[in-house]
Amino acid sequence: MIDITLTINGEKRQFAVNAGETLLELLRREGYKSVKKGCESGDCGACTVVLNGRAVTSCIVFAVKADGGTVLTAEGLETNGKLHPIQEAFLEEGAVQCGYCTPGMEMATYDLLSHNANPSVTEIKEALSGNLCRCTGYVKQVKAVKTAAKKLTKEAK
Amino acid sequence: MSQSQLTNYVRPSKLAEALAQFREGGKSARYVGGGADVARTLPSDVTTLIDLCALNLSSIEERHEGIVIGATATLNEVLESESVAKVCGGVIAEMMCKVGSPLLRNIATIGGTLASAHSWSDVIPLLLVLDARVTLYEGESHTLSLGDLYTLRGQLADSILTSVTIPASGPGDYAAFHKFSRTAYDIALLNCACYVHMEAGRCTEARIATGGTPRLAARLPQVEEALRGEALSDAVIEKVARIAQDTTETANDKRASGQYRKQLVYAGVKRCLQQIVEKLEARR
Repeated sequence: MIDITLTINGEKRQFAVNAGETLLELLRREGYKSVKKGCESGDCGACTVVLNGRAVTSCIVFAVKADGGTVLTAEGLETNGKLHPIQEAFLEEGAVQCGYCTPGMEMATYDLLSHNANPSVTEIKEALSGNLCRCTGYVKQVKAVKTAAKKLTKEAK
Repeated sequence: MSQSQLTNYVRPSKLAEALAQFREGGKSARYVGGGADVARTLPSDVTTLIDLCALNLSSIEERHEGIVIGATATLNEVLESESVAKVCGGVIAEMMCKVGSPLLRNIATIGGTLASAHSWSDVIPLLLVLDARVTLYEGESHTLSLGDLYTLRGQLADSILTSVTIPASGPGDYAAFHKFSRTAYDIALLNCACYVHMEAGRCTEARIATGGTPRLAARLPQVEEALRGEALSDAVIEKVARIAQDTTETANDKRASGQYRKQLVYAGVKRCLQQIVEKLEARR
């Protein structure tokens, strides 16, 4: 076992992990169930988390690699019981159906909006291109990201 | 999926240490960059991973020899780099945004991509035509062309790829990349990259490569020769694209037939050169 330290959703924690364990496996066994297990080959995006500021598919990141880093999952988006503007926007725009892809989409959105406050539709589609959704037609997610961008800009003022 | 066969994961902070660990591990050891590839597939005899990401090799710098990209810079860091954007009007970013998804590009490193040498890699053909050089460490550092890296691959097994250098481009340098796939997310059925140096309306230097034939990307010397001294007219483009089709060996695999790939070689060279013509016209 290898000892690692991670800051997850603002909380510094220590874990003992196996050499071949993925970040996805670690997060789920520690109760971060918003991080979904999908394809486990980096194709579907259901396991997306923000690692050191960038969205990654946690199923193809070794847990050891994240040592010393910061991880944000969908559990960490809300503050004091209030949903994050990205989560609100996904609800308002009806971008959630079965919900399996939603946390991953939100984390990809989080990365996008922290680097680009007012993305174009093309930029949104590009940012979400690694997150598959089998319920919807992606139209509502794109709208949700636009709405989230507006909410965050308003909040920042 | 968890690679349960792994018993050891080390993160050396010095090159000499990494090399010693690799030599000690023998067949059971493997270097890892971002690890995206390794987390998915790993030969059953590998039990030790030597992670190169703690070696402080992720900077991107403009030096006199060109843009020097550290091996553990992620593909997205390369895509977003203002220094890299200066190469041939930003052609590297144009290619990079067709590699997988941003989620993958935040994990995969440029060194890992070059070292794993997938035949369908989009990065390799473009860096071949941009005349990229790689620096390897095996006790001491030495530099060789990316093409030589693949020719000499068998003899370089324990070397650590530490950086890739792309020559700075000047006026007259143009490059283009084309990928054939259903979506950018898919692995290329075939890809093609072209570089030309133009002087007084004529091409004085040309480098063309195609990948996913389904072999590893390689240059097309006969096409390059045919382009030298020519203006990029429709007739010349048609002629050299046909030469590419006739002289490039293609084969069948699960993704596409060799016969179809022949057509793609023709179309790939043609589209790259047409893109370059558009870029030339935009400059005027």
